[in-house]
Amino acid sequence: MRILGIESSCDETAAAVVENGERVLSSVVASQLDTHGKYGGVVPELASREHLRAVVPVVRAALEQARIRLEDLSAIAVTEGPGLVGSLLVGITYAKSLCFVSGVPLIAVNHVEGHIHAVILEARGRGEVIPFPTLALVVSGGHTHLFECRAPGQYRLLGKTRDDAAGEAFDKVAKLLGFGYPGGPVVDHLAPFGNPTAIRFTRAKMKGNTNDFSFSGLKTAVLRWVESRGMEQEIERRRELLRTNPRPAPEQWLEVTPAPTLDLLASFQRTVIEELLRHVARAAEQIAAASIIVSGGVACNSGLRQAASAVRLGVPVYFPTPGLSTDNAAMIAAAAFIHLERGDFSAMSLTARANLPLVT
Amino acid sequence: MPVVRTHSEAETIAFGRELAGTLPSRCAVLLIGNLGAGKTTLAKGIAEGLGAAPAEEVSSPTFTLIHQYSEKLFHIDLYRLDTIGEVRTLGLDEIFDREAVVLVEWGERFPELMPELSIEVHLRCSGEGEDREIEVIYPGSDSRV
Repeated sequence: MRILGIESSCDETAAAVVENGERVLSSVVASQLDTHGKYGGVVPELASREHLRAVVPVVRAALEQARIRLEDLSAIAVTEGPGLVGSLLVGITYAKSLCFVSGVPLIAVNHVEGHIHAVILEARGRGEVIPFPTLALVVSGGHTHLFECRAPGQYRLLGKTRDDAAGEAFDKVAKLLGFGYPGGPVVDHLAPFGNPTAIRFTRAKMKGNTNDFSFSGLKTAVLRWVESRGMEQEIERRRELLRTNPRPAPEQWLEVTPAPTLDLLASFQRTVIEELLRHVARAAEQIAAASIIVSGGVACNSGLRQAASAVRLGVPVYFPTPGLSTDNAAMIAAAAFIHLERGDFSAMSLTARANLPLVT
Repeated sequence: MPVVRTHSEAETIAFGRELAGTLPSRCAVLLIGNLGAGKTTLAKGIAEGLGAAPAEEVSSPTFTLIHQYSEKLFHIDLYRLDTIGEVRTLGLDEIFDREAVVLVEWGERFPELMPELSIEVHLRCSGEGEDREIEVIYPGSDSRV
């Protein structure tokens, strides 16, 4: 059984074909396509107009790479939400049209459920079975959510961010220090060169649900630290570097980043990671989790990966490979298999839901 | 309205609740202030005051760009957009045309795309810790009301 997945909830237009919920036959993300060849120019993958331009070639590429015809699919899965309505609608409308012409059934998938399934998909591909119940941390530029997952397809929200997402905190700290936006990956590359215990940031105190996160205070603390130290000159040097080279290598960043700033990056990154893992450890205990899943763009962070294995959470921790950490459509197709098994198909009246919650 | 001083996140949220009661049912509110000035915190209070969402449900829309909390409240954040072309593709006009309160963070960077009669709320950190100064400026008044 093969499912075509289509994802267009935020910046990325993506399509993929997945077989039996365990093998990725193709996974195409528009921003990774040869932008000069396929449809010319640089594509800022933003909002509906860009999705509209990308969706047809991206789906075609996914079908071609998987060597499959539309008629041979078991279903077409599409992200229903959460996300930007205009962007979601492009994927949904195209998926519906494909279903209409091919007679293949339509399946609606929650984007966040997709992130969780990116990990389940890869484990199944390796012949591994993730033990349930699992605790899922979905952490990206737009999400920081903790879910209890008793079985595939059964989710309960345990906590989420009350202000900034963890990935957003990385990107904003990078930007205020002159590393451009989104600069989360730059912080991760440079953090190992600094002292992670040089600066002690105070931990956010949560009233109410202690499984909730808060990263806004940490962001503000970094801003105050920077403002109090008169770092304008070095920040300007980094902005200058970005103007001459949009993607500097880590060595080039190191040339314009003095030791105290590296210490700041390392301390900031350590604080975010500790905050994430502290929540994960406590929630895993609460639900007696047999495993932990970490997914979403921040799952690429090497510091987080190392720390998650080093702190001995007591149960196996699963991360997706980088390609399936950030937004992609293979995860949407993978999540759709659960719906396919249950015969949980969508009507052609399916519409975008910007605030779609993940609850069952 | 004179400059209001709040001394904690809870007070900023409380002021947002109060402010919500004075807003027309259809308006754009530009939340203006640096990172960490309390824009999203104030949005939490406004959402509660309008009965659109509890404070805990209101989070930063930086990555997602637009959050809609009910038919009557939108929360937009243009921080990560750099060019006017990018902002245009969001189709904000359609949102400004609705019978809704539209909160916009970093909207002052794109004045051409903001409604002429926007209400401005300026937020500043004052002193150490959680102290904030909040100033509301209604359109058409040079003097601050």
